Amino acid sequence: MDIRLLTTADLPLIQHANLENLPENYFLKYYLYHALSWPQLSFVAVDVSRPRKGPYDYPKIVGYVLAKMEEEPTDGVQHGHITSLSVMRTHRRLGIAEKLMRQSQLAMVETFQAKYVSLHVRVSNVAARHLYEDTLRFRNEKTESKYYADGEDAFSMRLDLDDVAELAKRYADEEEDKDKDEDKKKTTNGGDATIKSEGVDEGEAVGEVGRDPEADGGKERKIKVAVGRGLGVGDLVEKDESKH
Amino acid sequence: MPQPLAPKEAAQFRTIIRSFEDKQYKRGLKTAELILKKNPKHGDTMAMKALILNSQGKSDEAFPLAKEALTVDMKSHICWHVYGLLYRSVKNFEEAIKAYKFALKLDPSSAQIQRDLAILQVHVRDYQGYIQSRTAMLQARPQVRSSWTALAIAHHLAGSLTEAEKVLTTYEETLKSPPSRFDVEHSEAVMYKNSIIAEQGDYQRALDHLETGAKHNLDRLAVLECRADYLLKLGRKEDAVKAYRLLLDRNSEHTLYYEKLEEAMELSPDDVVARKAIYDEYAAKYPRCDIARRVPLDFLSGDEFRQVAESYLTLVLNKGIPSLFANLKHLYSDSFKKDTLRELVEKYLTSQDVDSESKDKGEAAALYYLAQHYNYHMSRDLAKAREYVDRAIEKDPKSVDFHMTKARILKHEGNIKEAAEMMNQARRLDLKDRYINSKCAKYQLRNNENEKALKTVGLFTRAETVGGPLADLLEMQCIWFLTEDGEAYARQGNTGLALKRFHALNNIFEVWQDDQFDFHSFSLRKGQIRAYIDMVRWEDHFRDHPVYTRVALDAINLYLKMAEKPSANGTNGTDEEDALEKKKAAKKARKEQQRLEREEAERQAKQNPNKGDKAEDAKKKDEDPLGLTLAATTDPLGEAMKFLGPMLQVSPKSIEAQIVGFEVYMRRQKYVLALQCLNRALGIDAENPRVHEQVVAFRKLLDNAPSDLTPKVLETLKAEFKPVDETADLSKYNEAFQAKHQASPLHVLSAIKARLLLGVDVAKCEKEISSLIEHASATFTDAVAALETLKSWRSKETDAFRTAALAKWPNVSRLSE
Repeated sequence: MDIRLLTTADLPLIQHANLENLPENYFLKYYLYHALSWPQLSFVAVDVSRPRKGPYDYPKIVGYVLAKMEEEPTDGVQHGHITSLSVMRTHRRLGIAEKLMRQSQLAMVETFQAKYVSLHVRVSNVAARHLYEDTLRFRNEKTESKYYADGEDAFSMRLDLDDVAELAKRYADEEEDKDKDEDKKKTTNGGDATIKSEGVDEGEAVGEVGRDPEADGGKERKIKVAVGRGLGVGDLVEKDESKH
Repeated sequence: MPQPLAPKEAAQFRTIIRSFEDKQYKRGLKTAELILKKNPKHGDTMAMKALILNSQGKSDEAFPLAKEALTVDMKSHICWHVYGLLYRSVKNFEEAIKAYKFALKLDPSSAQIQRDLAILQVHVRDYQGYIQSRTAMLQARPQVRSSWTALAIAHHLAGSLTEAEKVLTTYEETLKSPPSRFDVEHSEAVMYKNSIIAEQGDYQRALDHLETGAKHNLDRLAVLECRADYLLKLGRKEDAVKAYRLLLDRNSEHTLYYEKLEEAMELSPDDVVARKAIYDEYAAKYPRCDIARRVPLDFLSGDEFRQVAESYLTLVLNKGIPSLFANLKHLYSDSFKKDTLRELVEKYLTSQDVDSESKDKGEAAALYYLAQHYNYHMSRDLAKAREYVDRAIEKDPKSVDFHMTKARILKHEGNIKEAAEMMNQARRLDLKDRYINSKCAKYQLRNNENEKALKTVGLFTRAETVGGPLADLLEMQCIWFLTEDGEAYARQGNTGLALKRFHALNNIFEVWQDDQFDFHSFSLRKGQIRAYIDMVRWEDHFRDHPVYTRVALDAINLYLKMAEKPSANGTNGTDEEDALEKKKAAKKARKEQQRLEREEAERQAKQNPNKGDKAEDAKKKDEDPLGLTLAATTDPLGEAMKFLGPMLQVSPKSIEAQIVGFEVYMRRQKYVLALQCLNRALGIDAENPRVHEQVVAFRKLLDNAPSDLTPKVLETLKAEFKPVDETADLSKYNEAFQAKHQASPLHVLSAIKARLLLGVDVAKCEKEISSLIEHASATFTDAVAALETLKSWRSKETDAFRTAALAKWPNVSRLSE
């Protein structure tokens, strides 16, 4: 399944995936609010090889991460928040949730200089907790009593993004290197050889994404994850409107 | 000029405005009354009172009052502004814009009115008006960046890309020092400008701009993607290769990057060795990458395919990853690959070292794959599918996935009842998973069990929502449930509730359209302009989404049925039968109403009396919960237009849309429009059986033109109608069509229906339909279509046909409905 940035046209099927998978749901405007406030942070997993069904086909969404920046962080520290993350049951154990999360975290750091990312997870959701705690290395900050509408408690988890920041820096350096390389090449005229040596050079440099021997081997039983209901969502958007 | 007030009242008037803004409606009204006691004809106060009343949902009081306010004070910008706001709230945008313009004329300096006008203009896509408004607003506040950006957006949306770019550049030139590197608004403005340059097709300039202005841009992914794209478009292949490699290192799960990389490396599609090497490289580099492993299966063939497929299958089956089939089924359009995959899995299943103990790995995974293989429409053999799924279930009697697949197999056998039961069994194996809960409810709805399905989904909807699960599903815009629910009601002849759902869905789409309103101003504050442009463009066509088309088709088909006059076409139905049906339906509806009322009473009794605003409850009360008013419409075709209009506008390439369009327009005697639909349908698929029926119907119409058709219109219609020549024998034309499509039961069915239209005796046609059961390639789906036709004719053959069909396909639920 392809992992790519979310677009507005994806929203109806993201909403569908959310309604089909999770008990915490939102109306379309709340998705728009994310897509139009932090368009860099939300990603989808889509089935691009599926044959088109008719002239007006939209890519099938098999997973998504809906993320935001905390608008007014109480601790004064810029940080991201995962509003919702889910993967269709039919597409489990391909590591999709993890891959979505990593893309989102990278963008949080690059675009908004996030220092950490937070999320809520149902105390009873063992599979989701496994993904967050073991695969993604989130740690539990505190328990929020009766966070969910049905009275269940939530763990409030967070992950420091220092490692991601380092990765982002490495990517930035590599971009610079390319530029320098380019200058060099202008004099030496590299050709095919340049491409090959490029590949070798990069071998060492990159690796955070997907290099997780722990998570390999399909340990994650279920990568369907419930993340907190956006309390007073409508109010949030409205309030923003009236500020002006 | 607003009427002057004494200082005390003037202060009070200001508090009204504050109260309104803070949504303190009661307080606002009280204050308004105080002023009106002293100045009963104070226009502005009356207007504010009207505005508050409107916000309380009392628009029938608000409008007369606002009008009265205007009559006492025509020269007040407040009165006109309020008048505009009221019109806006009922979505009469045209009148609202007029009122705003009056208000603005009276008070040209009002930023508020100007802003409201501007937002409405972009909302209705009056881009020229929007440019004017934004120009005025820029002149008023040139120091704010968003004033410039807004004007650029106006030009951009209006299609003047160079103007848009110029505006952005002008602002940039006023900047004395470059903004901070972490200024999000600036960062986005640079990328927005870059997108405008690229949209002009000037990729060299776009690339230069990117390399000078976006070196440290905050949106790294966008910079990298744009850069790679421009390099490739400019033919700078080597640089493009590097650019796509950078992207692949960030995200190796993106097919497009690989494709572009291949293009940049100038690899011929036939050079599978070189192409494979790229994927192998990334598969080695990123061991958890799925795309790099799977995509070569798309372009490899022969033994190479077999080899790669075998190692991929072995790896994934050993791990027991349940999405394997979903990941490979697109390969089935190639019959060699389809067969090879099956052979390989069968081979895996019988190999010595396969894990036969595991519940989900090895043998279990292979059995599961084969069950899905034989259930898939391109490789279907349902008996085999059953066999494999049962063997898989033996391995793990508690597997949700295996039971879910078994339910799907049953569905494909036509046994909707048992499929629903099986899906419920799957659901009970994991009560905490909403996905399987949703699937179960869907299958229950397919089995026409509306109440049961609502109870099922109710296990996951929010308990505290007033009105129970259905209200929650409506509020959360749960399109799939409402659609299936409505379709199930339509199947059962419950027109009221079916229409109720379809209209509720239509409302949801309207809300989606309205949702953009707030973002016209919100996005300027947030500064994320590219995302905003993306949203505006999407809003212009979002109803082309299949979820809308499906609802629109459902609703229109139902309205067409309602519009069908009994006993037309010389069929056998009687008015008495009709009356009886109606009586039955009314009784059923009454019962349903009572049940709903009972449930509501129970719910209220359970509720905490201290919680919840009663006033709000009253506002939410649905006057027609069963859709009886909707079902009682005397103008079903007019109602159908509400769904048809938008669909034809944004989905002209949908043949289903054109087909129902023809039917609606014919019945409304809009022959020019009907012909337009027919011609478009012919352009999409001239061999479509329903289009054939329509061709015959239209030719017949032209041959026996109704008297109210003017000769001129008739001439035009004749000139525009091409498929059957005027001199041709229509019956022969129909016979030729049938002969051409003899192998397809649905085409034959259409030819029979056309024969009835051409005056062939109905009994003869019925017999012909009945004999379709014997058609060599008839499936139960064809039988259901034939049955539906007989039912719609109220044919006496219906029961005999049903019996015969059930004898041939005993488990098909739709045949016994």
